[in-house]
Amino acid sequence: MRQVKALVLTGYGLNCDYETDYSLRLAGAQSRRIHINQFITGKENSFKARLQDYHILVLGGGFSWADDHGAGVLMASKMKHHLGEEIDRFIREGKLIIGICNGFQALINLGLLPGFENRYRERHAAITYNDSGNFIDAWVNLKVNENSPCVFTKGLSTLELPVRHGEGKVYGADHVIRQLTANHQVVLQYAAEDGNLARGQWPFNPNGSLEDIAGICDPSGRIFGLMPHPEAYNHYTNHPDWTLRKEALIRQGKQFTSEEGEGIKIFRNAVAYFRN
Amino acid sequence: MPSRLEIKLKQDLFDAEGAGIRRKAREYFGFKVEEIRVIRVLTLDADFSPAQLEQIQTEIFTNPVTEESSYSPIAEAFDWLIWVGFRPGVRDTGGSTAAEAVEDLLGMRLGPDQAIYTSKLYEIRGDLSENEVRKIATHLFANELIQQWRIYSRDDWNIQEGIGFLVPKVVLDHKPKVHTLPIRSDEELTRISTERNLALQQRDIPVIRQYFLREDVRKERQAVGLDLPTDVELEYISQARSDHCNHNTFRGLFRYHDISTGHKEIVDNLFKTCIEAPTLEIKAEKEWVISVLWDNAGVARFDDDHYYVITGETHNSPSNMEAYGGAITGIVGIYRDPMGTGKGSKLILGLYGYCVGHRDYGGELMPHLHPRRLLDGIIEGVRDGGNKSGIPTPYGLVLFDQSYLGKCLVFVTALGIMPARVGNESSHRKTTFPGDLIIMSGGKVGKDGIHGVTAASETYSEHTPAGHVQIGDPYTQKKMHDFLLEARDEELISFITDNGGGGLSSSIGESARFSNGCRVDLDKVPLKYDGLDQWEIWVSESQERMTIAIRPEHLERFMELSAKHAVESTFIGEYNDSGYLKLDYRGKTCAYIKMDLLESDFPQWEFDAEWTSPSLRGLTEPVLSEPVDHGALLRAILSRPNICARNWIARQYDHEVQGGSVIKPLVGKRRDIPSDASVVRPILDSKKGLAVSQAMNPFYSVIDTYHMAAATIDEAVRKTLAVGGDPHHLAGVDNFCWPTIEYDPEKNPDGKYKAAQLVRANWALRDCCLDYGIPLLSGKDSMYIDGNLEGPFGERRKVSGLPTLLFTVTSLINDIARCVTLDAKFPGDLVYVLGETRNELGGSEYYQLMESLGLHVPEVDPEKLWPHYVALHRAIQEGLVSSCHAVSRGGLAVHLALVSMAGELGLDIRLPLIPGAHGLTVSQILYSESCGRFVVTVPPERREGFDKIFSGLNIEQVGIVTESPSLSIRDENGHAIIEEDLFELKEAWKRPFEGLT
Repeated sequence: MRQVKALVLTGYGLNCDYETDYSLRLAGAQSRRIHINQFITGKENSFKARLQDYHILVLGGGFSWADDHGAGVLMASKMKHHLGEEIDRFIREGKLIIGICNGFQALINLGLLPGFENRYRERHAAITYNDSGNFIDAWVNLKVNENSPCVFTKGLSTLELPVRHGEGKVYGADHVIRQLTANHQVVLQYAAEDGNLARGQWPFNPNGSLEDIAGICDPSGRIFGLMPHPEAYNHYTNHPDWTLRKEALIRQGKQFTSEEGEGIKIFRNAVAYFRN
Repeated sequence: MPSRLEIKLKQDLFDAEGAGIRRKAREYFGFKVEEIRVIRVLTLDADFSPAQLEQIQTEIFTNPVTEESSYSPIAEAFDWLIWVGFRPGVRDTGGSTAAEAVEDLLGMRLGPDQAIYTSKLYEIRGDLSENEVRKIATHLFANELIQQWRIYSRDDWNIQEGIGFLVPKVVLDHKPKVHTLPIRSDEELTRISTERNLALQQRDIPVIRQYFLREDVRKERQAVGLDLPTDVELEYISQARSDHCNHNTFRGLFRYHDISTGHKEIVDNLFKTCIEAPTLEIKAEKEWVISVLWDNAGVARFDDDHYYVITGETHNSPSNMEAYGGAITGIVGIYRDPMGTGKGSKLILGLYGYCVGHRDYGGELMPHLHPRRLLDGIIEGVRDGGNKSGIPTPYGLVLFDQSYLGKCLVFVTALGIMPARVGNESSHRKTTFPGDLIIMSGGKVGKDGIHGVTAASETYSEHTPAGHVQIGDPYTQKKMHDFLLEARDEELISFITDNGGGGLSSSIGESARFSNGCRVDLDKVPLKYDGLDQWEIWVSESQERMTIAIRPEHLERFMELSAKHAVESTFIGEYNDSGYLKLDYRGKTCAYIKMDLLESDFPQWEFDAEWTSPSLRGLTEPVLSEPVDHGALLRAILSRPNICARNWIARQYDHEVQGGSVIKPLVGKRRDIPSDASVVRPILDSKKGLAVSQAMNPFYSVIDTYHMAAATIDEAVRKTLAVGGDPHHLAGVDNFCWPTIEYDPEKNPDGKYKAAQLVRANWALRDCCLDYGIPLLSGKDSMYIDGNLEGPFGERRKVSGLPTLLFTVTSLINDIARCVTLDAKFPGDLVYVLGETRNELGGSEYYQLMESLGLHVPEVDPEKLWPHYVALHRAIQEGLVSSCHAVSRGGLAVHLALVSMAGELGLDIRLPLIPGAHGLTVSQILYSESCGRFVVTVPPERREGFDKIFSGLNIEQVGIVTESPSLSIRDENGHAIIEEDLFELKEAWKRPFEGLT
């Protein structure tokens, strides 16, 4: 079977790298955590890494450069100036990029998302402060757009994941949001408990995101950004209701069929994309 | 020529930060603020070309979708403007990350005199007077200890100049100089100590003088060009001998006298007798206790391949002065302890505990910060410190009491994990060898934290660094954390420790004891700004620094890794076996002290401790008839500040990062009820879990601190057992916060009683730890939790915090699939109460509501309780338990309500069936806070197995879980004593803080 190689960026205040790396390995990828500077360092040394050696690039969660000047802003600036061309090549070669939380914010600021008409340097959307004005950690219900070209969400219709952010409100001018919707680039939307869209209602939509947007992809579906954290649902015990579900199953004479958390499906889809 | 970039959200975008401040201004002060919008200001103190400025503006700092910006003032349509910026020398992370980004963008380096500073400008619209605006500036925005502010009305705003160019640059017009200090007499040294804020202990002064006057010492000193002690040396000794570093109080001699019985006893050293001795005794029995009592944190075995590391401390005084800065410095600081334990561990958890005055305090005393503002700041500080470090903060406690108005308490606890072996060695071992290099990694050194308290009273000039109140920087530290783990795994580290209290003076002073000597070039230490005296470099407490010992052959690789992680590391000296600590500055020696000086016989501190029993103090049970409306009473208790929902705090803290969350801080059907304990899976491919919980019960201290401590330990133990913790692996961390115990007829007339309280609490600690088999992996004491608050007539009133013990318990979970939460799961499940309820309402929430204290404080009998705990563990391990909850503050009524509210299912309870109910009044059964109790639910089909395990123990099935959403508690005739809709109970429980997010 073909070896699918993934890399998770680290350094400068990024975190979530261990569990993201773990999730990718669970999904069957050969994954590595690599410091941003390993791609940037000019001279050849033992650290030197090359983007082109990987299939999946993950910009994970965290607080890159402390998020002091807007979440993901300085990370995007760093990547644009040092890795712009390599990223362009990575995209041209049909590889996959996923940005989770801080990584999503960076992808938006880089312009890789929404990437209308494959123009990957233009900033059309923004991710700004939660309407509540504060950081929130909460599990959310997500509705998956089954018509979206997104490679990562194939076969999924709903998903529950945790969000953990102070800046998660996806914002864009009306025409941008319309275009995103029309292109089926809106991949994930916050939903209420009944599965219908949250329609801005807190806490189901935890940040006031326009059109309840929780994640978008580029027109090709190969670049994906989302605020919720799939890597934080890597085991069934991550789910907030697992003790209740366990009791319910026992009383039906059943048990959990898999140890794996639902979030891993996102990464499995990415790996499958290269295997099939 | 500096430039100033102003950035704001486009006018049609909702300004969440501004809206939050507006809400506070209206809620706190009732001001008619219509709108507040925020302008971010970057002051670039460097020369950039117009093209560069444009690049900086458009390519980095302005989001074209949401923001607009200008190098000219952009405030418009306001009634008032408030500008808030940092004072010189205050940590401005935003300024340094901005500089980093600009340097990267332009491919240049800013010079030593160039910098970027952040500040904020608030546009305020509304009909407000100048005094009201001033109040918003000082009571919402700026803390004058770290910030400066200005206000502008619409009329006096200069549209061209705006705020001008406010550059908070530190300029010290000072040439570093070493002073020698005369020590002709004890009196002279005492005077010098006072004048220079050395804070030398009076008892230590003769010992210090004797040392410097010794003939052999003088001869050796002359050989290196020294004679009388230098200020560097005396500062070093003062730091090393401080109560903070040396625990002089706990190591003191207590003359304990029980007035009621006449019993007298000399207690020589609480640390040795009540902490060290029991812990060593338990360590000898439990192979999982790996390293205790010497390192920055304790170490215990997690599994064959991993150790976990834990410690806790407080950051009270700084938080009391500047809540946000103090709290973030506290949490970020405690994270350095596990990083500096053994060869270094990866941080996996942070916990918090806050004790503050009531949030709605309206009394006439004037604390430096109102409790509401104080608590907000503390919460935000720990939030940013934890979240930005990528470390989950899944557990914490909050307690409101008037006594903490004098000084708030901010407890922070940190856990780490490390591989059991680094190379061929157990990872908990570390030492320094002669020839090892001394490296300082992390931040630079400034005047931070030097003589904290006294510096606060100095007068400010425009460029005086306000360094005594610090703001922790999780970003810098996170980079260092990642770097050090990599260096550890490459086996580059011989020894590592953090720079906290005492700075290099402690970290190098202590690490050099292993090799028995060191030499340091103080001039090599990187500084934030010029002009620091040698002694300041040596004792500065600038944050985010670690001291590391490495072999010379590892230097190159170490520095390479450091550069990769963008971490500053500097080689500043080397360890040796000279028997001396030697400090040089530009080739000239400024300190030369024998390593064993600090081990010499410094006099022990001594305290008189006088205990008067509660009844002799006149405490009695209150005279109270039975309440008639227990439903209303329960709702009233659920709404009390120390019982009600405080969920807004937990929700701001990332408790999922690192991907191993098993039992979350808030559980139940709506994820809104606080869990007994937190469980994480620190090694993602292992089924093993780590459970941790905390407890504090300072209200019992007012009756008897012995029982306060015992009840607190028992509660923390039960909370970890409730989620599935193993009673054979219970480890503890004790954090004492105590008012001053040194008797003074005027300043501390009840000092002897407070000293006796401390002794008794320690006795309980010793007894319970031995009985439950709890080694104290770590612990700290923080004395002097008193404040002198200004009253309405210009008087100062002393307010002492209640004697407080925060106790943390960790336990292991063999298989996380066995973990249990507290929510009732299914109708028809049987409700059991485990453990006896007794007439123990002293200090209870119920008595507090009745405005009384009482006498019968809960007591713990570990021997009797232990079999219950072992049986409960077995029942949980065998999968017989559907939910489990430890009963604590508020008593059974409150905790049955929590179980019901969590599952959103009713409970039907028969009061007389509750173990111990016979002979008690209804209110005693419902609200007594007796220890040792749990509420457990069990499905009927598992009843037999469950009952068998508990045969012969104090447990009863007292009712069932019902579909109908009500909490029913009935008497022997089936008549309802309480019949409350659980959603109404929940509403009462959530109401007090429901508006907070």
